[in-house]
Amino acid sequence: MKNGAIKQTLSSIWKMLKDFPVVLILIVFFAAFSVLFPDRFLSQMNFSSMMRQFVTLMLFAVGPSMVMTMGSLDLTYVGIWMLGGALVWFLSPVLGLAAILVVPLLGLVTGLMVGVIQARAKIPSFILTLSIMFTYWGLTALISGGYPRTVKGFEFITAKLIDGIPTPLLFAIPILAAAIYLIKGTRFGTYLYSLGSNEEGAHLAGINVNKFKVLAFTVSGLFTGIGSMILFQHMGGSVAVEMNLNTMNWPLVAIILGGTPLMGGSGGPQRTILGALTLTILVRGLNVAMLKPEAIQLLVGLMLIASILVGSRSANKGGVEVS
Amino acid sequence: MNTILRDKTFKGWLGDNYTSVMPVVMIILIIGVFQIINPFFLKYQGLISLLYSMSYFLIAACGLTFVVMMGSFDFSVISVMKFSALFCVVYIDKFGLWVVPLALVLSMGVGLINGLIFTKLKVPSFLATLGISIVIDGIALYMSKGFLLMMENETFRSLSVTFIAGLPSIFYWAIGIVILCTLISVITPFGRRIYAIGGNASASAHSGINVGRTRVYVFMLSSLLAGMAGVLYMAQMGGGSVAIGADMLIPLFASVVAGGTTLSGGIGGPHRTLLGVVIITWMQTGLLMLGIGKDIQVVIFGFIAILMSIMTTDRKKLKIVK
Repeated sequence: MKNGAIKQTLSSIWKMLKDFPVVLILIVFFAAFSVLFPDRFLSQMNFSSMMRQFVTLMLFAVGPSMVMTMGSLDLTYVGIWMLGGALVWFLSPVLGLAAILVVPLLGLVTGLMVGVIQARAKIPSFILTLSIMFTYWGLTALISGGYPRTVKGFEFITAKLIDGIPTPLLFAIPILAAAIYLIKGTRFGTYLYSLGSNEEGAHLAGINVNKFKVLAFTVSGLFTGIGSMILFQHMGGSVAVEMNLNTMNWPLVAIILGGTPLMGGSGGPQRTILGALTLTILVRGLNVAMLKPEAIQLLVGLMLIASILVGSRSANKGGVEVS
Repeated sequence: MNTILRDKTFKGWLGDNYTSVMPVVMIILIIGVFQIINPFFLKYQGLISLLYSMSYFLIAACGLTFVVMMGSFDFSVISVMKFSALFCVVYIDKFGLWVVPLALVLSMGVGLINGLIFTKLKVPSFLATLGISIVIDGIALYMSKGFLLMMENETFRSLSVTFIAGLPSIFYWAIGIVILCTLISVITPFGRRIYAIGGNASASAHSGINVGRTRVYVFMLSSLLAGMAGVLYMAQMGGGSVAIGADMLIPLFASVVAGGTTLSGGIGGPHRTLLGVVIITWMQTGLLMLGIGKDIQVVIFGFIAILMSIMTTDRKKLKIVK
């Protein structure tokens, strides 16, 4: 009798690990770094920088991970963050503190634009959003004149509220909760899953595929915009003019590592939390280990490849229809 | 009475062939406008700078064209180019001129890995190549330690900067590669297979084409050409850091689609990319001559990339695009 209960617990743990292999990686990384560098990795300072990094990854990744559930990709987040910052700098003499509201508006408009072009013109979303991201980078450099302009007055976003916890994390919690509710608790989320698992089936079942595609990109852009409002101050309070591809790649790694399959159909922001946590622990651990930046980049790249390989195991292995 | 109805009017002909006509019109427009604004545009000095700016670009773009023709995408072209350029400058003292074949073989190896991940593991090509490109970037950063490295070997540099009949040798390399690639795509069975896969992958698999193997070869070819572009770039510029090619991805992609190779696959080819590269790089040089900076160029090329992909994509063929 007792034996059976143990067996059942073990099998449920096994099932969880099979569904969320990232949990195991998370635990292994955390344990390994804690054992290797107990005083540096487990310090108060490291925890607070871990939380800061986690917020950055998560706010960038929350919108795109919703788009990912329907099998598309949204890479505009870095562009929205950069151009949003430039617009805030440009408009703050006129609008004052209200200038920050330009960022979510920009996100909304960008998302709508991407959605309409993607659904109507049928261009692969990754290449479309990548082009838009680079275009926004050019616009950012154009508006700011190529200098990292500092904007004063938004320090209240990162002002300390609770000891030891960065305030952006507190802001991020309702954003994440809203995103998870949208995916898990509404018809919209269910339709996104159905688009991801079988678009033609969803179409035949009477779902207005194009409408929900546009809606998904718009919602993703809006979430990125809201997140960028916080990230603008969180990441220095100035216009970023240098395109750093790590800013683009790491949230993507977090999404894929979290276990949202590349072809969509399951996953979402709730899984990305796990992925972002794992990546944060890995990167902070490697930083604590005082590895060179190139080594960290190399290991993150290998991590991405490994998670792509794991994430693609659910994909259709039979046919040749993969582009 | 079952004659095929053809629209014989000029408008009908234009509607059928606008992907071929448009690039030519654009080139004439670009040359005309820049020649009027800046009379040095087509003088000898201007022409040399035009050829310099387009040649290595053209070689890399030819490789990407094959991949796009097949309906896939290769993100790692820029990274491989950067890698092979830095490999040459870092190891030239150690291996001498053997560094060139070594760089090419290593680049081809990257293509092999790309192709194998793509075909054997059924990972979408852009994600597989994105992952690989992050790793290659890391290796390139590791090799160069982030410094600006100068190439001092004159024999190596003469690969690109020897003048033959008034034109730099890198131009002959580029033209040779384009002719070779066009021949590959038009007359060899391999080329026909690439078009077939781009047109319809499952139909070509059913008709007996080894789709997986062809795809791996194409990715190897793309990386090989990217590596070659890197070698010649290093020979032309005589130095570089990890920043090589940082803002080249969108112009490269734009030049492939501006030539008329469609993202949906099956249409286009290296000869079209020649036109696309002329459009993009001559525009780049022309704008630079007018003193218009890189920021606006990025915006312009981003727009061109999006616009041209919208215009050339064949939407009748596609049902589902993610």
